[in-house]
Amino acid sequence: MNKHITTGLVASALTLGLWNCKTTDPEPSPYESGVYIANQGNFSQNNGSVTYIPTGSSTAQTNIFVAANPTLTVSGGVQDIADVNGKSLILIDNTAASQDKVEIGEDGSFKSRATLKTPDIENPRRAVYAAPNKAYVSCWDVSGSYSAGTFYKDPGYVAVVDVNAGTVTKKISAVKAAEGMVLVGSEVFVGSASYSGGTALAIINVNTDEVVQKVDMGGEAEPIAVDANGRLWVLVGQTMICYNAGARTVEKRVPLNATPTSMAISRDRRSFYFSTNNRTYRFAITDTSVPGTAVQNRSFSAIGIDPNTGMFYGSQNPVSYAQAGYVIRYQESGALIDSVRAEIAPSRFFFR
Amino acid sequence: MSLSAVTVRAIAPERFLAGQKLQRIDSTTLLQFRFNAITDLLTNNTPLAFKSYGPGQLVTVAFRGTSANHTAVLWNGININQPNLGQTDFSTVPVAGFDKLAVQYGAGASAIGSDAVGGSILLGSQADWQTRLGVTVGQQVASFRNNQTQLGLRYGSAPGATWQVSGRTYLYRSQLNNDYPYREFRNYFVDQATTAQRGLVQDLYVRHRNGRQLSINAWLTANDLILSPQDTIARERTRTQSSRLLTTYAAGAMTVRLGWIRDLMDYAKSDFTRPDHTETDRFIGRVEREFRLWPGLNGAMINLRTGGEWSHYRTRTDGYGGQLITENRQDVYALLRLQTERWLVSANIRQAFVTRFDPPLTPSLGAEYKLVQRAQTTLTAKASVGRSYRVPTLNERYWVELGDPNLKPESGVNLEGGLSLTSALTPTLNLTADLTAYRNRVDNWVLWNPATDYHVENLQLVVARGGELASTVTYTQSGWQAGLRLGYALTRTSQERAYDSYARDVLGKQLPYVPVHTGTLNAWVQRGRSRLSVQMQTSSRRYITADNTQYFRGVLLTNLLTETQVRVAKAAFRVQGKINNLFDALFISVRRNAMPGRSVAINVLFSLPANHP
Repeated sequence: MNKHITTGLVASALTLGLWNCKTTDPEPSPYESGVYIANQGNFSQNNGSVTYIPTGSSTAQTNIFVAANPTLTVSGGVQDIADVNGKSLILIDNTAASQDKVEIGEDGSFKSRATLKTPDIENPRRAVYAAPNKAYVSCWDVSGSYSAGTFYKDPGYVAVVDVNAGTVTKKISAVKAAEGMVLVGSEVFVGSASYSGGTALAIINVNTDEVVQKVDMGGEAEPIAVDANGRLWVLVGQTMICYNAGARTVEKRVPLNATPTSMAISRDRRSFYFSTNNRTYRFAITDTSVPGTAVQNRSFSAIGIDPNTGMFYGSQNPVSYAQAGYVIRYQESGALIDSVRAEIAPSRFFFR
Repeated sequence: MSLSAVTVRAIAPERFLAGQKLQRIDSTTLLQFRFNAITDLLTNNTPLAFKSYGPGQLVTVAFRGTSANHTAVLWNGININQPNLGQTDFSTVPVAGFDKLAVQYGAGASAIGSDAVGGSILLGSQADWQTRLGVTVGQQVASFRNNQTQLGLRYGSAPGATWQVSGRTYLYRSQLNNDYPYREFRNYFVDQATTAQRGLVQDLYVRHRNGRQLSINAWLTANDLILSPQDTIARERTRTQSSRLLTTYAAGAMTVRLGWIRDLMDYAKSDFTRPDHTETDRFIGRVEREFRLWPGLNGAMINLRTGGEWSHYRTRTDGYGGQLITENRQDVYALLRLQTERWLVSANIRQAFVTRFDPPLTPSLGAEYKLVQRAQTTLTAKASVGRSYRVPTLNERYWVELGDPNLKPESGVNLEGGLSLTSALTPTLNLTADLTAYRNRVDNWVLWNPATDYHVENLQLVVARGGELASTVTYTQSGWQAGLRLGYALTRTSQERAYDSYARDVLGKQLPYVPVHTGTLNAWVQRGRSRLSVQMQTSSRRYITADNTQYFRGVLLTNLLTETQVRVAKAAFRVQGKINNLFDALFISVRRNAMPGRSVAINVLFSLPANHP
């Protein structure tokens, strides 16, 4: 330990001596460029994790948050990972009430900066960039009994996170089972989890952190992404809705003829990939229906598209959540690259 | 070698499983754990691996690398596993509920029937014919606002009369508030669940001078567990209640048992007024007769016990659609035991018949031979082979949609051998040592198969192999006593059949929550009526996934106990102080919460007269 410090001091002194007019460069990061995978873990074991695959590598580094922070634990399913102004947010959902967390870490090193806990955070689902140093985290809130129909508290909320201070500054009442979020201009569109019974999109102004409008979408709405033309695409049941966020109008509905298990936008933002229970299809934003030919004859429980390379990441779970899932990678052309073992139930991809 | 009435009435697994390891827990240990759940006693004294969901919460067992469904728990010879789940939640079994405890290792189907695949736990009541009137009052207070109370009464008529009566009434209650002064321990959350437990034990024995005896044993228990009690939306309540009643009539070599067991289970979330309800009744009848064969034979005693058992099950469970489901189970068996100066051999056979189900024939053969038999030293070699099976649980067969009434029985073959040594090294120094190796292969292992939306199927083949080493050294001299008890177990258990395309990641891997290495250490020093003890248990890493990619680190847990007895006239106050988890070790539950750090408990047990607690 002491030796480590001494070496560090000597190195710092040398560095300062050589570049004494410059500030020191940040520590080289072990997690520079690659994909982060949010693993949900097995239900009730609370054993989610973050996997990292460096660009150009086909080997996964497992449980990297704990590797970077050996005294901390991830006790829950990792629901989402986001990056806001150099800070990583990791959403951790425990099966027990009041044990959920959002860990805020340094980008690149994953060293923990702050931990958000109950009552600010209850059943965190997704995180998005809202404004400089401001993240939104959608939360279901405390869940009740499924059989009694009180599972989802109505409404759920969006936690406004100051990523520098590491605090929740406000909880915005949003929609029941608040989940998917997409930022369009200065508004965040918040939808509901599937089968939750929430049918509205809440629109939040990121400057005032207020809900400015709720739009009924006729079913549980999951905002997916903004396309190359600036249109917001929203998945409602078996239909993709092309939505003009500024005008608040539906421009087009594309029937998918199946309930997708996963969905992602392509690198050029001109098409969408989605999986049904045994195939994966692609349709262009100009299409009015889904082409009949599948791009892959298999289904993925989550899809991620690398925005830099266009590489397709699809996750496949073994039938049992007592063992690690795999990520299968394809070129943008559809050619198979490889298959990488991640951790239990890989469910979201974040590219950096 | 005469055959006493007590021997004839001993339950079958204690007498007819020659060649297999049987560990009797001594009364000192039972007394030391009087205010604990049976789990605490067993983890500190046996290699059984328990899977705990948190303090006061569900605890299931893995005996010799098998699943929670593979341990038979017998109470006075009757299997008391909850039949819907086919297992026992060991957090609901307090040591105060029984008088005797033994652990029988390895398959015991020939003497026990279903469930005895990895081993069996034998709880028993015992008549006390000496005490005319005895009173026991006990109270424990412990960290985290946890407390317990026990009240007991023993009574009996005078010995020597033609008819003699003996009885025991015992009441216990406990309230675990688990009110920790911290929310996290080493950055893991602690889980504040509350558990309230109540129980009544009522035993009554009537015996005639000619040996006939009628016993009535009743054990009523109620357990009320609330998770997240502080949150009215997220809170979950699991209430279990069991009523167990057993009547035994023994005359000569004949024993007749009639029993009734009712298990109730209620689970509710948020709103506790409308729980999911499970209600199962079992009516049990068993007739046994033991014969001495060729009584004139010189130097050998051969006994044959034949018996039949009949059980009628009635269950009404919301998950089965709510209608009444009934079934009958019958067992017939013949157990043969041969004993000579050096040999003990048993050869057993048992066949069960179950409604809509076809259990296998379960024979077993075991032998023990005294290699060395001297005044100070006995060395015995043991070997046995036996078949075992498990009738799938009621849930596995009758759960709406997912259950399958046509499941095959899981079937196991258990092989074991060992050496057992007792030796008086010097007049003051005694040694016992016990070494066992086993292989247990269980086929048609039942799984709620995730590939078919959790339909129940006979899928897996599990092979468990390992060994146990246990040794005790005691030293006694001039009012001092000291002892050291060490246990080590190696348990390699793995799934060996590929049934899906991802099986390569799982084949041959250690089953989750079963540590490969476990060890226990108990050391004590006693002077007069005061004793200082150290209890240690250690286990290597526990994998938590089937592919062994994740695990909880190995752990060493230490408890420190001190106890003393103060005599006041004829009464005794036994005072025990205990520090649990002395070194604040981090131990993680299944739900990934930390078990609490260091805690203390103090209990006082008053008994009058002194020698009958």
